[in-house]
Amino acid sequence: MSIHNLFLFLLSPVLVFGQNEMAKDTLFANGDSVVVTATRSERKLSNITVPVTIINAKTIQQNGSLRLTDILKEQTGLTLTSGFGAGVQLQGLNPDYTIILINGEPLVGRTAGVLDLNRIALGNIKKIEIVKGPSSSLYGSEAMAGVINIITDASNLIPLQASLRYGTYNTLDANVNNTMATKTLFYQGFYNYYNTDGYSIRPNSNNRVTTPINRLTTSQQFKYNVSDNTTLVFNTRLTDENIKSNITVSNGGVSINSNGNEHNTDINLAGTLNHRFSNTLKTSFRSYLTNYISSQDLLTLSGAPYNDLLNHLFQRVENQTDWTVSKTLSGIFGAGAVWEGVKSSRYDSEKVRKNNTIQYGFTQWEWTPINKFIIIGGVRFDQNAQYASAWSPKLSMLYKINPKHKIKLSIGQGFKAPDFRQLYLDFTNAAAGNYSVFGSAEAQKVIGQLNSLGQIGSLFNNFYALKSLQPESSTGIHLSWDWEPNQKTFISVQAFRNDIKNLIQVEQVGAYVSGAQIFSYLNIGRAFTQGVELETKYQFNQQWSWSGGYQYIVTGDKDQITQINNGTVYTRDANGYSKKLTLSEYVGLPNISKHKAQFKINYLTTHGLFANFRMVYRSRWAVNNNNGNDVYDNGDSFAAGYVSLHTAFGKDYTNGVSLQIGCDNITNYIDPINLSNLPGRTLYASFKYQLIKNKK
Amino acid sequence: MLKSITKITAIVCLLTNIYSCTKSSTETVTPSTPVTATVKDLLADSVTGIDPATQMPKSVGLYTYFNIEKNKIIALTDTANGNWDLAFKTTKILINGGTSGNAMGGAFIYNGLFDDLKSISNDSAFKVDNAPTSYAITTGSDKGWYHYDGQTNIVTPVAGRILVIRTAKGKYAKIEITSYCKGGVNLTPAASYEDILYKQRYYNFRYTYQPNGTKTF
Repeated sequence: MSIHNLFLFLLSPVLVFGQNEMAKDTLFANGDSVVVTATRSERKLSNITVPVTIINAKTIQQNGSLRLTDILKEQTGLTLTSGFGAGVQLQGLNPDYTIILINGEPLVGRTAGVLDLNRIALGNIKKIEIVKGPSSSLYGSEAMAGVINIITDASNLIPLQASLRYGTYNTLDANVNNTMATKTLFYQGFYNYYNTDGYSIRPNSNNRVTTPINRLTTSQQFKYNVSDNTTLVFNTRLTDENIKSNITVSNGGVSINSNGNEHNTDINLAGTLNHRFSNTLKTSFRSYLTNYISSQDLLTLSGAPYNDLLNHLFQRVENQTDWTVSKTLSGIFGAGAVWEGVKSSRYDSEKVRKNNTIQYGFTQWEWTPINKFIIIGGVRFDQNAQYASAWSPKLSMLYKINPKHKIKLSIGQGFKAPDFRQLYLDFTNAAAGNYSVFGSAEAQKVIGQLNSLGQIGSLFNNFYALKSLQPESSTGIHLSWDWEPNQKTFISVQAFRNDIKNLIQVEQVGAYVSGAQIFSYLNIGRAFTQGVELETKYQFNQQWSWSGGYQYIVTGDKDQITQINNGTVYTRDANGYSKKLTLSEYVGLPNISKHKAQFKINYLTTHGLFANFRMVYRSRWAVNNNNGNDVYDNGDSFAAGYVSLHTAFGKDYTNGVSLQIGCDNITNYIDPINLSNLPGRTLYASFKYQLIKNKK
Repeated sequence: MLKSITKITAIVCLLTNIYSCTKSSTETVTPSTPVTATVKDLLADSVTGIDPATQMPKSVGLYTYFNIEKNKIIALTDTANGNWDLAFKTTKILINGGTSGNAMGGAFIYNGLFDDLKSISNDSAFKVDNAPTSYAITTGSDKGWYHYDGQTNIVTPVAGRILVIRTAKGKYAKIEITSYCKGGVNLTPAASYEDILYKQRYYNFRYTYQPNGTKTF
């Protein structure tokens, strides 16, 4: 879709009603597509100054992806993580540091920093935009590694579309999309039902890696064209999931087996008023409310209840005004306020909501002094009640050397605010030695009270170092070079480096009289990630095409590197004898693969027949510090590197019927301990019907 | 079942002996003749099963006593007086001094490499056991000689931690524990439940003992 079409569409959806929706999605469809996430305004991809990946609906459908995790794992620079749900690591940074947006509004409800991406159904997605590099200058907290923005399919004007898919593990996925439009009103609804029996990849265990789940997702979009220059948009989204849990928690030598139900609800409500004053000035008011409620009601085998509750409420109002000063200069201004609160059974009382308010303002200016050169500078300021405020500047530029070569450079700062857990956790693990973890906002008070009751045995230096937490922050530099030697070939090379400081880590601050440990959170870590990414695309002929990507990444904890250089970190040789660890044996941060690669071979005919074959490779990654030196090195345990292969075939008929079959993980590669999110071989078949309107 | 103990007397020591003998005729100082040996699979309170009520491993609860000078496990009936230097039960190691014994035993933990510890400096303070609050060889994960992973229940000796021992008779030794697992290997999280339960509590270590009473190895 061209920028012109999008512009028309925004103003008046009905104008594009009669156009052919089954847009041709060639390999280079991205070439003229529109990106909104990079600048918070519609820009042609060819004018974007920062590294961006776009995944379009056709790719999602032809890959047979159902949930957001399915498609993200096949992207360069992205790696899935398991534990507390499926998160995504972006350029080596943990899931905590990537903000997940739906139509520009953030999702909340993270467990241990991870937002479970399986919550997000893909049936109504128009495209996914991934911006790599710190983007807090536009998005504030969490946009430290980058931004993933999921844009729902508002352009799809097919009146009715239904699909059904069935596969291994009794996995059923049903979708209905419907659209109604008049001159001034537009409605789109999406309903998804997903059910799976789950799977167990541990032999002789009733412990299911993925437990039986059913999920219902529905989203609705209403649009009202008040006038030629004013539109009102209202979006709702609801995800409701039930998970049958049968989990074993092993801690401190004690295994507790629990049975029960986990119920998660995610509600999102967004209202937007867009108004265009003139061709050069437009504004939008956005209000947003989201509530994530997660409850676990489990019974242990001995009959004791185990309940866990998390209730995260997030409300935001925001205004953004876009001003085109001249042909070469344009700017945006924005300001907003957030009211946010969390109730949790892991805080001092699950009845009391812990609150925070944030006020922020941002501006960004885009200057095109000559046709070949675009420079964008922006800054955002976030001020809040609970932790230190943050300035987030960013500068990025694009230079088009000639039609074949482009160079992009961006330098930005990102931050992640301390989350509620790091501020308010009040958790004592009775199952594992009665150790306690207290959030930093209350640790001194709580421990002081315990001390006056005579329960504290010792206080460490870290206790006296406790203070108001700073946001974790990173400075990222991205340099990329895009080369299109001919119409059939695209090559992009990108180098990046992120320097992270003020990492928030759990540290022991004292001990009870009994000797049980007391922990809290301190800003102490410094780390870096750096690497190279390569992306290639090649169109062999009308039918066959290739796309492939590779990432090489090096990471490290700067304080650990200092210790290694000082010769105070030890490891063991083949005899088991201690020796000094050398820097060459150091592997950096855990859970990061040095090499990750993937490719896809795509076949597509003009008759709607399609097929693809995909491969994803990930090299080994450190999972456990075996030799007790607190540093990940070659002597520790690693998850083995692996290759997974996937394929899908299908045909789109002209009468609106589509059929598809596929096989994921063809070679049945499993690693029950380290890859709980990779099931064995799965087969599926799906049927889709679109009611195509023929009227003009 | 007690494990066999292999003794390796370094040829270096023999050579030093010969060399020293010729030299001692002219010098009054007793020459250094440190003895280096390795001990394999010293079992410290074997696991006999799982207590169904607490889910904790069951065991007899007895210490294994060891004499460094003789490089020998001491029978439980023969542990009186200064007959033993170290006593092992799970991850706890006693020395023959303080609340644990009447002899001259003491210890402290040195951070560094076994070979780099060539002599014990005179200002090093040897601690004695003060049960149950403190032990000369500090107990607890990461505090003394081992790291305990609460998720996997695997105990791993921390690299670069040397136990500096004063024996029952007041002589000095240095010890490096290399493994807490049968066969001298270290378990990984992929190890089976049975291996984690039954193959741990086997001490593998090397030591150097200085019989002449000096603090030089």
